[in-house]
Amino acid sequence: MPHPIYRSLRSARVLVALGLILCIGFCAAFASSIAPHDPSEQNLVSTLLPPAWAIGGDETFPLGTDSLGRCVLSRLIYGARTAMTVAVFASLGAMVIGSILAYVSGYFGGAIDWIIGRAVDVWMSFPPVILSLILMVGLGIGLDKVILAIVLVDWTRFCRVLRSEVLIVTGRDYVAAARLLGFTHWQTLVREVVPATLPLLITLISLEMAIAVVVEAILSFVGLGVKPDQPAWGQMIADARQYVYQSPWNLLFPVLAIFLTVTAFNLLGDGLRRTLDVRLAESGR
Amino acid sequence: MIATVLKLLGRRMLAAVPILIVVSALLFCVLRVLPVDPAAMSLPPTATIAEVEAKRHEMGLDQPLPQQYLIWLEGALRGDFGRSIHFHRESGSLVAATLPATMELAVAAMVFATILGIGGGLVLFHVRDTAFEPIADMASILLLSIPEFLWALILLFVFGVTLQLLPFTGRVSPGLSQPHITGFLLLDTLVVGRFDAFLSAGQHLILPAVALGLAFSPAIMRVLRSSLFDVYHEDYIQQARLRGLSESRILLGHALKNAALPTITLAGVQFGFLFSGTLLVEVIYSYPGLGNLMVDAVRNADLPLIQAVGLTYCIVVLVINTVVDGLYLVLNPKLRVR
Repeated sequence: MPHPIYRSLRSARVLVALGLILCIGFCAAFASSIAPHDPSEQNLVSTLLPPAWAIGGDETFPLGTDSLGRCVLSRLIYGARTAMTVAVFASLGAMVIGSILAYVSGYFGGAIDWIIGRAVDVWMSFPPVILSLILMVGLGIGLDKVILAIVLVDWTRFCRVLRSEVLIVTGRDYVAAARLLGFTHWQTLVREVVPATLPLLITLISLEMAIAVVVEAILSFVGLGVKPDQPAWGQMIADARQYVYQSPWNLLFPVLAIFLTVTAFNLLGDGLRRTLDVRLAESGR
Repeated sequence: MIATVLKLLGRRMLAAVPILIVVSALLFCVLRVLPVDPAAMSLPPTATIAEVEAKRHEMGLDQPLPQQYLIWLEGALRGDFGRSIHFHRESGSLVAATLPATMELAVAAMVFATILGIGGGLVLFHVRDTAFEPIADMASILLLSIPEFLWALILLFVFGVTLQLLPFTGRVSPGLSQPHITGFLLLDTLVVGRFDAFLSAGQHLILPAVALGLAFSPAIMRVLRSSLFDVYHEDYIQQARLRGLSESRILLGHALKNAALPTITLAGVQFGFLFSGTLLVEVIYSYPGLGNLMVDAVRNADLPLIQAVGLTYCIVVLVINTVVDGLYLVLNPKLRVR
């Protein structure tokens, strides 16, 4: 049987998803060289222009302009930077907190497991959107605050799913064998339990990135996300919603951008789940 | 049987109380670390420092935090959540005025999500092992990746702006009177006999409800499909085939009933998520419900109102989950034996 990584790289889902993510990541990384305009440069004579191919379009603004005459394409490209930054850091942050608690909880069990389990219960009885809004009120707006809010809301997703997997792995014979060989708890965790749960962890990170992109868009849409001078897809949607009759195009582009990004991460997660999980890969379903 | 179920439901409700207390305390603490002073905010900018101090005392803000929490909790138990700083009205009455609108939206969306979920699940199962399977599978993943937020915008763009088929702002067309009896507009307009308003309210409900339903149906589809797969491994399906029943009769008459249980549980859990999903859909469609109230409260840092609305969301979701647990007991006789 080929190594899971090679198997993943032969899956159409994973390849399509990686291609999309690389494109979006490229836009995010080289935003300043790709974007035709400064994303906050206002051009009040030509506001709400349609895309260049539509009637009344202007070639200098390929996707048109928003209500302040800012270039939609440039804002989309810079918005990718905001979205990708949030996706990467928020999911890694949530992963670190959630998985550490999950390993401790699932491996040691007992009172500590009970306490962490109840904390997750209480946390999850807050609807995530409500909790992140409330946290943003407390934290104030800004890119770092958005990341922090997502980490504080979504660590439970990692903790709950991973804990049950850790519980299963800890019960396996080879983990008991490792302990009998004289491995310390730390060695057992790092060398036996963590590698066994790694496929699940990678899948969860990918899915969490999709969630983080949506949450960032939501918070920016409501006006509680990144600072107003930083381009974000959610802000573009909020602006376009106000002028939806004059310029419906402006609504379409950021929606499409979010859709593509979220689909790419979900597809990646689904493809990885199918190929990295030995049981699923063998059954073929 | 009803007595046992009621007893179990009661026990579940009791178990939810400690969670609710912790949640409300957490909510209280998070909002109290805010760098805003509710007392200063509720007074005109010309107020003197002495006046602010008096107001702080009146609002109990000069007391230690646990004391403040107890004061708030005592008020909340009487239904008094404090006055909204922004709206100058009781937070409780603001919540009561908007909650029915959100409930109406959530229930309509849930009905749509269930119908679409069951239909889609049956289709997904029906095309198994055919050339359509990968396509249907891919479609369900694509559907799963579109959150309600995007659906709302897509539908608004297509049916509201481009085709101009349906209204997408508010609950009824401006100019039509809104009777206030229960707050459930569809019901109220029928009671008063205003069919034009009923029709308008129904039209306004379609886009938000469909947007929410579309976002929550794929999960139902996929669970139904995989439970149908499980059920088809059972002996009684083979038995039914030997008895010469048609495939559609086996699917609809035998398999579906048995696959329904996990699907209903999931649909219940989804209903909890769906309820909180109304927030964004409401904001996008300017639908005057709890979600818009929450966003207004958050934008204005209106502490008493944020607490009241936030707690309402938590309570509704907890109640939904408890009721779903109870429903599960009613439907699954195996769990009832004690």
